[in-house]
Amino acid sequence: MSKKININGKDVSVDVDENMPLLWFLRDELELTGTKYGCGIAACGACAVHLDGAAIRACVTPVSSVIGKKITTIEGLSEDGSHPLQKAWLANNVPQCGYCQAGQIMGAADFLSKNPKPKEEDIDNVMSAHICRCGTYKRIKKAILEAAADMQEA
Amino acid sequence: MNLQKVNRREFLKATGMTAGGLVMGVTVPMSLHAEEGETGFHPKVFIQIAENGDTTLYCGRAEMGQGISTALPAAVADELEADWSRVTVLQGDGDKKYGSQATGGSRSINEFFIPMRTAGAAMREMLIKAASQSWGIPESDCYAELHFVHNKKNKKKLSYGELSSVAAKLPVPTKPALKSKDQFRYIGKPLTRHDQDEVVVGKRTYGIDTKIPGLKYAAITHVPVYGGKLKSVDKTGALKMKGVVDVVEVERIKSPFSSLGGVAVVADNTWTAQQALKKLKIEWDLGEHKGYDSKTYLQDLIKNVESPAEKIFSRGDVDKGLEEAATRHSASYTGGHLSHSPMEPMASLAWVQDDSCEIWASTQNPQQIQQVIAIFLGRKEEDIVVHVTAAGGAFGRKGKCDYVHEAAAISKAVGVPVQLTWSREEDMRTGYYHSINAQHLEAGLDKDGNISAWLQRAAFPSIGSTFNPSLDRANERDFTRPIAHPYGIANYKLESGHAPAHTRIGWYRAVYDIFYGFATNVFTDELAQKAGIDTLTFLRNIYDNNKDPVLAKSASRCRGVLDLAAKKGSWGKKMPKNHGLGIAVHYSYNSYLAMLVHVETKGDDIKVHRVDCAVDCGLVLNPDIATAQMEGAVVMGLSLSLREDVTFRDGAVVNSNYHDYPVLRHNEMPEVHVHFVDNDESPTGLGEPGVPTFAPAFINAIYAASGKRYRSIPIKPMSV
Repeated sequence: MSKKININGKDVSVDVDENMPLLWFLRDELELTGTKYGCGIAACGACAVHLDGAAIRACVTPVSSVIGKKITTIEGLSEDGSHPLQKAWLANNVPQCGYCQAGQIMGAADFLSKNPKPKEEDIDNVMSAHICRCGTYKRIKKAILEAAADMQEA
Repeated sequence: MNLQKVNRREFLKATGMTAGGLVMGVTVPMSLHAEEGETGFHPKVFIQIAENGDTTLYCGRAEMGQGISTALPAAVADELEADWSRVTVLQGDGDKKYGSQATGGSRSINEFFIPMRTAGAAMREMLIKAASQSWGIPESDCYAELHFVHNKKNKKKLSYGELSSVAAKLPVPTKPALKSKDQFRYIGKPLTRHDQDEVVVGKRTYGIDTKIPGLKYAAITHVPVYGGKLKSVDKTGALKMKGVVDVVEVERIKSPFSSLGGVAVVADNTWTAQQALKKLKIEWDLGEHKGYDSKTYLQDLIKNVESPAEKIFSRGDVDKGLEEAATRHSASYTGGHLSHSPMEPMASLAWVQDDSCEIWASTQNPQQIQQVIAIFLGRKEEDIVVHVTAAGGAFGRKGKCDYVHEAAAISKAVGVPVQLTWSREEDMRTGYYHSINAQHLEAGLDKDGNISAWLQRAAFPSIGSTFNPSLDRANERDFTRPIAHPYGIANYKLESGHAPAHTRIGWYRAVYDIFYGFATNVFTDELAQKAGIDTLTFLRNIYDNNKDPVLAKSASRCRGVLDLAAKKGSWGKKMPKNHGLGIAVHYSYNSYLAMLVHVETKGDDIKVHRVDCAVDCGLVLNPDIATAQMEGAVVMGLSLSLREDVTFRDGAVVNSNYHDYPVLRHNEMPEVHVHFVDNDESPTGLGEPGVPTFAPAFINAIYAASGKRYRSIPIKPMSV
């Protein structure tokens, strides 16, 4: 029986060297390019995906370590871009070049699931694991606060 | 500008799309875009209203996060009275038909605004005329609104789609009436950007994301020192690895935008290629710059500006002015090399075949890719097809296509399409860096505290050295900004110190204005203290004293942003202990910026509480995008003020990744307030002008808070 990873709800067979980081398996083998390469050393957060709901860095996660587990990428965060964070991101015109934003959103989604009523300081601390070179930090924080409020109402 | 209808054949040739309805081509003034040998009609932008009403702009400028693909179409759509939801923008491929596509220098808005509006207005008038003819009524009984022409008499209406083919048969009006400011529907309004929906679901395709059938993946390692070359490579270990296709040596070619030289591995996926790179045994011939040490070099630059250097510009008599001054002051300032480090590292897909060459790249200059690849392959530029993808940040770096040349060289060698992705380490170590720099300023003040003489010496490796390696100091062109500085001081002299380049120097967001703005504004703050005058008053006096008629407008707009920043940031208010305000003003890329920064210091711990940016960029096309550009400029400004510093040792860059080239993160993001001057000046660009004012305002604020005067940035360099 072949080894499988559940990615965005679908079981995917793993037929690569299992030392390959999940990032390159997603990008080059499955052509799920929403997850970005930024640094390769877990320093920038561009490759954040969810492992059983918690954010991990795909660039330093060997495929072998996630076999049989559930991975969610930005493409699978919601069916139609309707996650409160995705909506808040658009409402605040957060992205500039947009390259880091998938990672930012995945990081924020994990954070909000654990901290539904975040303090600004907590957002600063947690989101500092993500770099945005265009400098969209102010809007990211505002979008996270709005999404949190939105999720409280729902 | 020139505005013409485009026929079916021309349109197909230019865009690869089928013409239908009304298609217009727009050029911009030849004075602004004198392409060498360009004659005849060469539209830079095509606008099509199809028979179903869909309205499409084909635009040659690169989108790299600055919002140009929203701002320009908004100008067309406004005059056209188009329904914004029916307007889409397609990024043009690299082609001379668009004129220069080099996106940089914050020029796009300056050059395209009026031509875009005029095109929209002409098309609107043609649609109105088509409707009036169809109804048999005068044009004055018709008006255009949101994709329809309406009949004032009987409330009938015809859609733009229905009218487009008839309008296409009418002559193009030569002087269409433009709207007045109060009639704008989209210009000056916070329109939604066209490219955001895809971003939040991970569907936006950057250069690094392109996939085509049969694709192989490459990774590369470069010669660590500028001007070095490959001595030998043992490929055995790499070639033995499963999934490795080949190892390819990439050589420099005669172009400043070609590869620095390196060895690449081609494999079934990027990771395998990266792993195989580590198995290569490479010997480099490091060449003439192998001794470059940036810390020692900076000390040399300081020496070179603290003694007389080569005169670049002079007005009045500086020596006499300094001698006769009531008070004199001098100081030296420095800054290090900077790396653009966009989040998307250099990446490109190339497929070179015997009879074709196709490129996909995130680039600020697709035509340069055509030129470089044409030289490399010995083919004609028009035979190189360049598809421009979204850029994951650029900041000037993606205006140099060394990475694209490499992708083409690798594809040619292996005969299959190749996606080359640089590692972050290669990106950091193989850049076109912002100039390391030193400046020495000397000024004399008269008894009233007005500046009577100003000497400014700068030494920095010039960008020109990347094109002409024998250039050993900055030239007059590199001093453009200080030559036309709006202070207009009577006795004024600029000198350039010896500064040969030992690495590739390139344009970095705001370029030389980063250090010119820094030294000038920190020095004036010091002069104000010396004269015992409040800095804001001191700066106001400089502008008010400027009697040069050529500089009058520039001086008054500088004064305008200065006053606005001071007011919004409450300059002069009583500050708690260890808190301070700093202010700076700078004119660059035709826009005027002032920033007021509020910091708190606790020993070496510095917190920026608030930044007030005052902006005069003429008419603000889209306040939300303009505000975002300023927020980004503050982040970049704070980042380079605090820690960004590329260090060279033994000729090579020592930094490798974001851990030892730390860039600003969320936890240090200050509160930013952006204020625009309301005037009727023509719109100017904002991609760069926000950056230069931050560092000096920040440094001046630290002085106000703590009495500590920093004269070198970054102030907290990491030791690497």
